[in-house]
Amino acid sequence: MTHETTHENDIPDQECRMTTPTVSATGLSLSYGGTRALDDVALRLSAGVTGLLGPNGAGKTTLLRVLATAVPADRGAFTVLGHDPADAAGRQSVRRALGYLPQTPGFHPDFTAFEFVDYVAILKERTDRGARHREVRRVLDQVGLADARGKRIKKLSGGMRQRVALAAALVGDPGFVVLDEPTVGLDPEQRMRFRELIAQAGEGRTVLLSTHQTEDVAMLCHRVLVMAGGRVRFDGTPADLTDRAAGRVWSSAERDPGARAGWRTGTGTFRNLGDPPPGADLLPPTLEDGYLLTLDEADTAVTA
Amino acid sequence: MRGLNGPRPGADRAPANGAPVNGAPVNGATAPRTAPRPARGPGRASSPPSVFASVRALAPPVLRALPWRPLAATGLLGPLLAAVPRLSDDPPTPWLAVNLLRGAILLYALGLAFLLDDPARHTTAAVPTGRVLRTGLRLALALPVTVLWWTATLLAMPAEHRPPAGAITLEAAAVCALAAAGAVSALRLGQEAAPGRQVAVGVLLLAVLGPWFLPERWALFVTPDDPLWTAAHDRWAGLLAASVLTAAVWLREPGARLRIRCGTSGPSRTS
Repeated sequence: MTHETTHENDIPDQECRMTTPTVSATGLSLSYGGTRALDDVALRLSAGVTGLLGPNGAGKTTLLRVLATAVPADRGAFTVLGHDPADAAGRQSVRRALGYLPQTPGFHPDFTAFEFVDYVAILKERTDRGARHREVRRVLDQVGLADARGKRIKKLSGGMRQRVALAAALVGDPGFVVLDEPTVGLDPEQRMRFRELIAQAGEGRTVLLSTHQTEDVAMLCHRVLVMAGGRVRFDGTPADLTDRAAGRVWSSAERDPGARAGWRTGTGTFRNLGDPPPGADLLPPTLEDGYLLTLDEADTAVTA
Repeated sequence: MRGLNGPRPGADRAPANGAPVNGAPVNGATAPRTAPRPARGPGRASSPPSVFASVRALAPPVLRALPWRPLAATGLLGPLLAAVPRLSDDPPTPWLAVNLLRGAILLYALGLAFLLDDPARHTTAAVPTGRVLRTGLRLALALPVTVLWWTATLLAMPAEHRPPAGAITLEAAAVCALAAAGAVSALRLGQEAAPGRQVAVGVLLLAVLGPWFLPERWALFVTPDDPLWTAAHDRWAGLLAASVLTAAVWLREPGARLRIRCGTSGPSRTS
């Protein structure tokens, strides 16, 4: 089920029947000055982890901020778990169902991990102290910070701070969780641990995960969106995205001038992407190959 | 203490929207196991908490989160500046007395410009507790401190040299309100988590350039013996009202710019 979506009508009915969307958006557009950050974006998300891939400036963060109701779109509409953020009451309902981890989460550095997540829990309308504290302990346990809950945030490592931010997003058991590049700056071990947490968060929830890491998508996501130039260029499964590169990846001893992209690998041969010459030594494609070719086609479409 | 892979409370809940569970794994990809549901976590009342309950719960952490350092630094200088006439045998001129107090006010206002700096702004960008309550609470918590500071500053100046207390208090209120309005506006119009520095620069520029560029008929910085004193304080009152109004307007939650269609079932409408 590989398809490109740039317009509402491009979403096949088949998919609509397959899953009941928890998040549904049509025609989302947003400009900053003269730059169109979002251009007629349509999407439907259902339970599980959906990956959002794209280069810098593709509009990923803007889309997440719009869906998190942090910024309003210029045009378009969306619903989250049936709530429409068109008015103040609807926006509040969306926010009650939402957990949001921004690209660069900030903290009150003198707060302990517990105090900060507790503060966020109060902002999420958890005013019953006893129940709230139990909930805060639960999410801190969940992200593996049970032993660090009394430590001041300024004393925590980058990875631990990121887990505090994830705990803040998950506190209150939200139905829709928006994660903006949560694994950036983490070492491989921390990234692996974070993947476990995100996978766990995706059980029974809708999680939208923005990332530059195709491995994150390959390991976590049941679905992937690729954005470029403010538009959704691909919407399908990771396997579908990988399949886009089937028969379009080949190996050669020298850089192939006809390739759309190519690089020397550790073995000394070149891995080429594009339309292979006759008799080329084809290689099995990866998700990253599919992603790169999708971006290349998006560039070509824009140039044309 | 539950481990990483332990069950999550609520994970076994029935789908709230009655949605069919459908998310078959595709080629080994992670698949959803249960249908999604809206947030209904522990500690949440069945209806939104009252404003009083929210304020009571929020006040302690917000009090701690307020950037007190700039306010303390600039606030401490105020009474010291006002007490300068006590150090001299010569009585200060009315011009010097009033401008010492104005200097103290300006310093404090520069500290107030940082009041809404919030390093956690983006982390808490999408919470249901509204902007009016969150920002209003910060301003409200700073109010008694400001009243105390101003009382101390006024008392630090010898009574015989003190300008009319009501009029100079009006000036203090207007400048503090202007700084607060600047901070509220910066928060609303920008994406900075800590716009205090820019706001402080703006307040400083206004204070320094104002006396130079304001025409005489709009003069604000006059001395008590000036015949324009009363008229100037009418303008100070106007500035106070305008600042409060500006803060109130920008304090409100931004309205949706969306051209709304109600999901998949409703007609289009424009907000």
